[in-house]
Amino acid sequence: MLHTIKQHNKVAYLILIFAIIAIVPFIINDDYFISVMNQALINGVVVLGLNFITGLTGQMNLGTGGIFALGAYVSALFNVALGLPAWVGLAGAVLMGFLIGMCLGYPSLRIRGVYLSLTTIGFTEIVRLLLNNLVGITGGTQGVQGIAPFRIFSFAVQGHRSNYYFILALLVILSWVSYRIVHSKWGRALKALRDNPDAAESLGINISSVKIMAFTLAAIYGCIGGSLYVHMTGYVNPSMFTIDLSIKYVIMLMVGGIGLVRGNIIGALIVTLLPEALRFMGDYYQLVFYIIVLLGAIFLPDGWLSIVGVLKEKIFTGNSKGKAAKT
Amino acid sequence: MSEKTPVILEIKNLTKRFAGLTAVNDFSMEIHHNRIHTLIGPNGSGKTTTVNLITGVLQPNEGVVTFDGNVVTNNPPYQIARAGLGRTFQNIKLFSAMTVLENLMVGGHSKVSQSLPAFLLNIPRARREEKLLREKSYEVLEFLGLAKIKDEQVKNLPYGLQKMTELGRTLMLEPKMILLDEPAAGLIPSERSQFVETLKMIYGKGVDLFLIEHNMDVVMNISHYITVLNFGSKIAEGAPAEVVNNPEVIKAYLGERFKNPTDTVSGGAAENA
Repeated sequence: MLHTIKQHNKVAYLILIFAIIAIVPFIINDDYFISVMNQALINGVVVLGLNFITGLTGQMNLGTGGIFALGAYVSALFNVALGLPAWVGLAGAVLMGFLIGMCLGYPSLRIRGVYLSLTTIGFTEIVRLLLNNLVGITGGTQGVQGIAPFRIFSFAVQGHRSNYYFILALLVILSWVSYRIVHSKWGRALKALRDNPDAAESLGINISSVKIMAFTLAAIYGCIGGSLYVHMTGYVNPSMFTIDLSIKYVIMLMVGGIGLVRGNIIGALIVTLLPEALRFMGDYYQLVFYIIVLLGAIFLPDGWLSIVGVLKEKIFTGNSKGKAAKT
Repeated sequence: MSEKTPVILEIKNLTKRFAGLTAVNDFSMEIHHNRIHTLIGPNGSGKTTTVNLITGVLQPNEGVVTFDGNVVTNNPPYQIARAGLGRTFQNIKLFSAMTVLENLMVGGHSKVSQSLPAFLLNIPRARREEKLLREKSYEVLEFLGLAKIKDEQVKNLPYGLQKMTELGRTLMLEPKMILLDEPAAGLIPSERSQFVETLKMIYGKGVDLFLIEHNMDVVMNISHYITVLNFGSKIAEGAPAEVVNNPEVIKAYLGERFKNPTDTVSGGAAENA
């Protein structure tokens, strides 16, 4: 009984968040703001994926930049070089994600911890260098231009607002899929792998295949994000796909709080919007942003949403240990 | 308890060497169905290595492990678990960030078959599987008397209840046999006797038990058959009364005080606890 109530609460939060996002353009009618929000929503998709591998399974993946880039380029080139519609590009990106998941997943079976992080950093760099130097295919530093938008029957998804609701719709669907996985035997298996792989294996869980599954989910979500991005902007070049981007996604995951679907969305929104909100500080805005992130990591390690719980405990029990002892 | 019951687990000429040290040396034993079997021996005698060889965590240099009629040597641990060999760990290995119920549900993971793509597409079946797992977990929790604490995070539980949770999680695998690595370690006497009663209840349900145990109180209370290991080799085997009177066992493991089992069982147990 308690379980179903908790479950319903989680869904209610998620619906509330999406409802607020849906009415934002009616309240803040500013093209630039909406374009930043579009970026935030795409980031939301990517973080939903990262949650599987880094959040639930606890494997630090710094390859998200490379994953995003490959999804972006596959989708862009399917459209520009092969003349296929954006939806086919998206399908290609999903397939690409599947392949990356397999390729990144296998080494993760043998290496862990900081070595895995290094491997994924290497992956991002290799992708960026290939995109820069395979000029014949990728256009090099010039990038790919004239990428067509998504089309729904005869309607082209163009302009900030159309993109906004299009991306939001996909984000809602992908959140629902993600939510189902997180709160199922698969989500539990991923968490089991993080908590105690030996025990998971002793219970008949094939940890190798579960790990590869987590990588594959992360890569598919990341590639979908890349595909949405290029068809929104119509242009892509390799300059943005650095390790910084990978790290930004990890920050989004941390800020939102690991494991929860709503946290992934909130994290993506905060980390995308906050630097913009701090721009009035001129040269110092990045500095201030990272100081805020650092303080969050120290005082709210379970994500910024956990401030509600922390405050509640402080107010109702006087100290943070009192409640834990009582329950 | 008769000698005629079929063999559920057979270890044949098992040898494991670690860089010059022979941890298990040409060790053979048979565990019969319907006979609670206990492996005892001094620290460093190779008990845990034997467990790891049986469960697939380690691969033997020589020898064969047969479980339930199938050779399982060199199979990965998850396959051996799926074949019906459950286990608990010497120092509890729980999923500490999860609740008791969730721990049990992970235990049943391999008992529901839907793959991830099927899970994403066939929602009604996914719901049924989840419900099945939940109901089965409730059953096991009820059986072990853990129903009240099902929503507690396991890291907040006392040690005894954590051990019970671990046992419940293994039961979710519907094992044919459970291998318990020092189940009584760290339990206070009252918890210990309760745990032994629970083990007997599980045995009563038709699950075979194989214990690695130090606590002679528990060993004498529950075992039908005992194998003694020393320096990686078997030094004795037989019914409890025979084994505790075996001079070699007394010398290697039990100590002189065990010569007369009638008045020394409890004393020796306290020492070994």
